[in-house]
Amino acid sequence: MAERGPHPVFELEAVRYSYMDATGLDGIGFRVDAGEKLALLGANGSGKSTLLKLLDGLIFPSGGQIRAFGSRLDETALQDEGFARGFRRRVGFVFQNSDAQLFSPNVWEEIAFGPLHLGLPQDEVEERVKDTLHILGLEHLRDRPPYHLSGGEKKKVALAAVLAINPDVLLFDEPTAGLDPKTEEFLIQMMAELNRAGKTIITATQDLGIVTHIASRAIVLGEDHRLAGEGPAAEVLADRELLLSANLVHYHTHRHDGLEHSHPHSHVEKHDHRHRG
Amino acid sequence: MIETEPTLPRWMIAAAGAKAPATSGRRRRRSAVERTIQGMAHALRTSVFSEQIAARQGLLQRTDPRAKSAGLLALLMAAAIIRTPLLLLTLYALTLAAAASSRVSLRFFIKRVWLFIPVFAGVIVLPSIFNVVKAGDPLFTIWSFGHEVRLGPWSLGTSLAITRQGLAGAAILILRVAVSVSLAVLLTLTTRWSDLLKALRIFYVPRVFVLILSMAYRYIFLLLSLASDMFTARRSRMVGPGSPRDDRHFAASSMGTLLGKSSTLSDEIYAAMVSRGFNGEPMTMRPFRMRTQDLLLLVAALLLAIAAVGGDRLLG
Amino acid sequence: MHIPDGYISPQTAGGLWAMMVPVWYTAGHKVKRTLRQRQAPLVAIGAAFTFVIMMFNIPVPGGTSAHAVGGTLVAVTLGPWAAVIALTVALVIQALFFGDGGILAIGANCFNMAFILPIVGYYVYRLISAGSSPRGARRWIGAGIGAYVGLNVSAFLVALEVGIQPGLFHTANGTALYSPYGLSQTIPAMMLVHLTVIGFVEAGVTALAVVYLQRARIGLLAGEKAAAPAAGPRLRPLLIGLLLMLIFVPLGLLATATAWGEWSPEDIRRRFGFIPEGMNRFSGFWSGILPHYGVRGSFWSSVPGYMASAAIGLAIVGGLTFLAVKLIHRTKKSD
Repeated sequence: MAERGPHPVFELEAVRYSYMDATGLDGIGFRVDAGEKLALLGANGSGKSTLLKLLDGLIFPSGGQIRAFGSRLDETALQDEGFARGFRRRVGFVFQNSDAQLFSPNVWEEIAFGPLHLGLPQDEVEERVKDTLHILGLEHLRDRPPYHLSGGEKKKVALAAVLAINPDVLLFDEPTAGLDPKTEEFLIQMMAELNRAGKTIITATQDLGIVTHIASRAIVLGEDHRLAGEGPAAEVLADRELLLSANLVHYHTHRHDGLEHSHPHSHVEKHDHRHRG
Repeated sequence: MIETEPTLPRWMIAAAGAKAPATSGRRRRRSAVERTIQGMAHALRTSVFSEQIAARQGLLQRTDPRAKSAGLLALLMAAAIIRTPLLLLTLYALTLAAAASSRVSLRFFIKRVWLFIPVFAGVIVLPSIFNVVKAGDPLFTIWSFGHEVRLGPWSLGTSLAITRQGLAGAAILILRVAVSVSLAVLLTLTTRWSDLLKALRIFYVPRVFVLILSMAYRYIFLLLSLASDMFTARRSRMVGPGSPRDDRHFAASSMGTLLGKSSTLSDEIYAAMVSRGFNGEPMTMRPFRMRTQDLLLLVAALLLAIAAVGGDRLLG
Repeated sequence: MHIPDGYISPQTAGGLWAMMVPVWYTAGHKVKRTLRQRQAPLVAIGAAFTFVIMMFNIPVPGGTSAHAVGGTLVAVTLGPWAAVIALTVALVIQALFFGDGGILAIGANCFNMAFILPIVGYYVYRLISAGSSPRGARRWIGAGIGAYVGLNVSAFLVALEVGIQPGLFHTANGTALYSPYGLSQTIPAMMLVHLTVIGFVEAGVTALAVVYLQRARIGLLAGEKAAAPAAGPRLRPLLIGLLLMLIFVPLGLLATATAWGEWSPEDIRRRFGFIPEGMNRFSGFWSGILPHYGVRGSFWSSVPGYMASAAIGLAIVGGLTFLAVKLIHRTKKSD
């Protein structure tokens, strides 16, 4: 179990989520403290994205409960305009599919959307957009429509759109999926920097190679949609049994000098085998 | 639990050979699939090009979108009302001048305007200039039959001629269509889509409709590329033009697939919007500042529209 | 199917705009109530989808191809009123960006393709598929027939709107000011191809797409999102009445005034040898309240007169439509 910090951001108790008779998550309980770097690990379909959506109050548990910043997070709470606004200002979500996240006619309006809809005054919105464009180096794209951006640019704009809200907690869903190495590197640096500035970072990923950079603690979701393990990131990554059972690594057959052998295979470290015909 | 990599079936390992595929001498007809791909590619190119022109520094680009759209709308109405070919021609000349001062290449502008719609109108209206289709005073007689020609219950008259009314009507229709299309093209070429949307607010278009319009436009490009991928994948698997029956089935199943993807997408977008504070009520920034020159241009356009209609009444 | 600017008179275009305003208003409210906050993304994607499938070339016998409109398909999945908005948005974008259909003619095009088409298509679908399971055969049969009927009704309206132009709007010597072809030419031209070919393409593609959805995305048909307004049997005749009124009121207003063009009572006497009693009475009635534009020298042929007669026409049409919609609302509430 993680150490108990003074400021819990999220507390989950026996959270269950099912949709159209299919179980998405079951018996999930953990706690996230302010300023933490947490990774949610799990194979495709294990419920990582569902868990992030639950944390962002986009969907609600079918059983158990979630508390955010000390108060209960459910449909009734978010119907209260004041609570909803406060919660949305404190939690930002960078979605996996940038195309779904970028729905505005151009980059400038995309970044302004959050601050504007969260009730900031117009001149402050303008200032925030300007600053966000600057820190992410996106000024030259400000009038571009989103469909004329590259994949990496889209991800940066999506991040900018969330950062302009200045949330305390940032949720990332598969942030590095499909990114070019340069943007991936930039993004990881940015996440680390945001964490140093005191932001809580929660990342759902199956890219084990980035875990130690973006998380100090890791939670593993099994294919049965339950918690399979939890602990300091380095320890979780070293636990081959756990990773195998969660289908995050798999056995791999290689031929080494004519000998066939199998071993667990993941991309935690650089994969260094010599393959011969 | 040792799983090995899946073994490929034998037929997949055998290569087709290194030689170039043999030619059969039969030409492929352009199929419906190909026409669809080309249409979609054309739509994408058009939008990119429009955005580039909208970013240039010209007369109309610098004008406030609200003044511009109101002015062009007034002229569009004038073009719909007036009935004198000469006045329509004058309006057309004015659209050319406006295009030139907005750094739109005239060759491109004329091609864009005329290539489809007015030429099409010309083809449609062509039969109506003949007296056998529409009665009128003969202007040129092409062929005298010498006696009354009957086609079942219909009489075709005694000659085939081009009529005065038919010719004038055709000229008016084509000119009217050309002026209308020119005005519309001017507006959309010189205005960024996002600005055009904001301008809609002055016509009391509700905010949520503007939001829907802007999102629809943005996602057309995503769905177009999804659909175009489906069609391209199909084309690459097809040897011949494919039977029309198969093509219809394919079109229907792609529609279904696309509808499914659209539905998933709309759920995701909704989540992304809510996450950033959307509660069903769209907000907008103060859009633009109207300057004196914008107002002057608007007044000029309105006066021009009124003058055109008034002049038309005097002449007609 | 898309009418460009210049083919129909501003009076026709304006009248149809005026009729669309209460339709959009109603659609907006229905959608807001049924879809609530989700309306923006759902309808927007519906519109984008419609736009894209209008680009699909579907081969037809004879080697050419046709475009589907997909209006009925959208109505079946999103519900009829959300479809009205989605199709409107698609048509606006087509008019503004791709020159498909005119800007002044947006009202007319929306009336034909974004209002009548999905509503007719949808209610035919409901009539046939009522009570069937989402996977039942009646679903795709209903959608196919709905698409066929909806498209043909819509094509017929296009033929009417364009066909009344030469009779109504011409100069003293008979030069047509807008489209030169009369009803006797536009109706056969439009209906022949739509009844025999394009209607079947639309029907076939819609039915096949529904079959696909039954296999792969049943949720889209199960009405989870469609949230169709609970149209009880008592509402249906009213709706049909409204539709008929919407179609015939403006036609009557525009047409009887200046002559049924070539169909003036004199003409009809010449052709048929008698004048229907009602028509004689009515043509006097209409020209009494709305003198036609053609008389030289009178107030009604001057510019302000021209504007005034257009405005009166619009006001009457708009008022009647609005009343009808209100009436529907009231009946619905008391349901």
